[in-house]
Amino acid sequence: MSSTENLITSIQGLSASSGDLSALHRILKGAEETLRADSDLQLSTLDQLDPSKHSLGYLYLLDVLTCGGPMSKEKASEVVLLIARFITSCDAEQIRLASDKFVSLCKGFKDRVLELEDPLRGVAPLLSAVRKVQVSTKRLTALHPDCLQLCLQAKCYKAGFSILSDDILEVDQPRDFYLYCYYGGMICIGQKKFQKALELLYNVVTAPMHSVNAIALEAYKKYVLVTLIHSGQFSVSLPKCASTAAQRHLKTWSIPYTEVGNCYNEGKISELQAVVVAHSSDFEKDNNLGLVKQAVSSLYKRNILRLTQKYLTLSLQDIANMVQLANAKEAEMHVLQMIQDGQIHALINQKDGMVRFLEDPEQYKTSEMIEVMDSVIQRTIMLSKNLIAMDESLSCDPLYLGKVGRERQRYDFGEDFDTVPQKFSM
Amino acid sequence: MAPSSSSGLTFKLHPLVIVNISDHYTRVKTQLNPPPSVCATENASSNNGEAMLQPNPRVYGCVIGVQRGRTVEIFNSFELLFDPSTETLDRSFLEKKQELYKKVFPDFYVLGWYSTGSDAEESDMLIHKALMDINESPVYVLLNPAINHAQKDLPVTIYESELHVIDGIPLLIFAHTSYTIETVEAERISVDHVAHLKPSDGGSAATQLAAHLTGIHSAIKMLNSRIRVLHQYLAAMEKGDIPCENSLLRQVSSLLRRLPAMESERFHDNFLMEYNDKLLVTYLAMITNCTSTMNEMVDKFNIAYDRNARRGGRTAFM
Repeated sequence: MSSTENLITSIQGLSASSGDLSALHRILKGAEETLRADSDLQLSTLDQLDPSKHSLGYLYLLDVLTCGGPMSKEKASEVVLLIARFITSCDAEQIRLASDKFVSLCKGFKDRVLELEDPLRGVAPLLSAVRKVQVSTKRLTALHPDCLQLCLQAKCYKAGFSILSDDILEVDQPRDFYLYCYYGGMICIGQKKFQKALELLYNVVTAPMHSVNAIALEAYKKYVLVTLIHSGQFSVSLPKCASTAAQRHLKTWSIPYTEVGNCYNEGKISELQAVVVAHSSDFEKDNNLGLVKQAVSSLYKRNILRLTQKYLTLSLQDIANMVQLANAKEAEMHVLQMIQDGQIHALINQKDGMVRFLEDPEQYKTSEMIEVMDSVIQRTIMLSKNLIAMDESLSCDPLYLGKVGRERQRYDFGEDFDTVPQKFSM
Repeated sequence: MAPSSSSGLTFKLHPLVIVNISDHYTRVKTQLNPPPSVCATENASSNNGEAMLQPNPRVYGCVIGVQRGRTVEIFNSFELLFDPSTETLDRSFLEKKQELYKKVFPDFYVLGWYSTGSDAEESDMLIHKALMDINESPVYVLLNPAINHAQKDLPVTIYESELHVIDGIPLLIFAHTSYTIETVEAERISVDHVAHLKPSDGGSAATQLAAHLTGIHSAIKMLNSRIRVLHQYLAAMEKGDIPCENSLLRQVSSLLRRLPAMESERFHDNFLMEYNDKLLVTYLAMITNCTSTMNEMVDKFNIAYDRNARRGGRTAFM
């Protein structure tokens, strides 16, 4: 069709500078309908364009070609290959002009990859796609959760973890944020980085929401289990910053987990195992059985940690008795594991089977420590500036001022003060 | 347009007047230009068209006080509505307010009027003349709302009217006068309170610790720059650009031989440990600061946005 050829020549011509690009963008937006109606458009026409130089035009054509309904397996894999190559070689500047098209293209790409049951192929392209669409490293895009989902399916946790290391400060859509934190938490659990998993899941649970959504519920269940594994404590009440909807309803939907938590607080292994067996069908349904088993094994660690606070030296047999382990050998294995993980500091004397608990040997005397402290302080200063700015903008928010004014009216005692007016006139 | 006045009157201004004027101005400005969140919720009402009003609305009002002999003391002020069609201030309201104030403060009477802006204008003279039947020689207090960090003085000017003969025509023109700020104890406390609400960035050090540290910082900066000068001088001498001066070289080498004052393993250890301790304390302070800010913010957020916020027993004091 001549219009398609015209379009292709204009794409090739106008992809040079930013002024030309905006003109090209307008042309493409106008020509989109005709492109969709054009039945002659084939994948081979794309060969005339170079994805790295003509990214914007390539994006539009690719979108029209691939957004069609179900495809055969060979066509799907061909399309997937094409899109993957496009994503890796496209130009970030041009893509950002039509970012929602790019996002929908990548989402379609992810669906096809999942259909083909080969999520590994999609991981690398989506990783680079995320980096290209991101305007700044502090902004969450719609592609983050998709990328993390693919990484989870493909079980390559390391790739997903590299995305999670950015601090996110701005969010476009709340659903993206929930999904991002939930998947991110799961990836961190897979990598056994429970501290970071805890932070991410905590973010979902305490995120502002008007009514409980399923993502928050699942996240809360995992959050309970990860708290048990990581810090060995469980409290039923959610922190103050969680929304009231969450505070009221999350607990009612996750009763087996709160029971496990309460039992964990008691500290008896046998009771905990009984509770786990009783609710094992619930845990299986939520795919959390592995996590629950990890929580049970972490109870041993917690009990041993408690012992370090009471005793200076202890024999392995005594440890085994107090923690209800089978024999001294197992106790030695547990203590050795904990020393390696850095959770306790101790010396095992193998000759007479005594364990001596030590203090944290960190003296904070080295220059490396100074660098660590310096970077941490800088990070906190940045955070503090952001927080103060947000606090001020909230103080000036008329929604907030209106509600405070209204509430003050009740507690002023009649005659002495005038009621606070809603709007100060004059 | 505003030469210095020669009437010989001493003017004393109370801070209450300044705070009143600035509060009036801020209120009107905020209401005329609501923040974007409110604009979005009001659907297509006429307000949207007017939202782009004058970015700096002028506000008007009256100042009252006492005149004893040659001293004019301005104690208080109240607001007036300006009628743009007739370009005069609302007379009936002014008289009503005057009566009310007379009941509470029998000594005070209307001394003049105030407005905001950067400079006195011709139209102001009309208002000034209108007030002349209440007070033969009113004063005009002008507040400049533009924030200028470089300016050290208050952006408040007081004008008097003087009869000057220009080209044979007697004209009233504005002449600015000097004034002093006079405070009552209660005013001093409140001004102090307002000043400490938000420490400005780059402002002068308010606390003793900050002043001490700033002193040390500038001292070290000076030391650094002087060492740099010496370093450049020596490098130039080495290259041969500057002829060698042995006396200077001897002085530099004696200076260098005084260092290092102390170099041993234990000193190094102790020094690093103390340094790390200070860093840890700073970190703790930062975290506490952040936590308290976050706590306040979460409270405000819950009040503003949570649909089923807890009632009873919890008011947030701003």
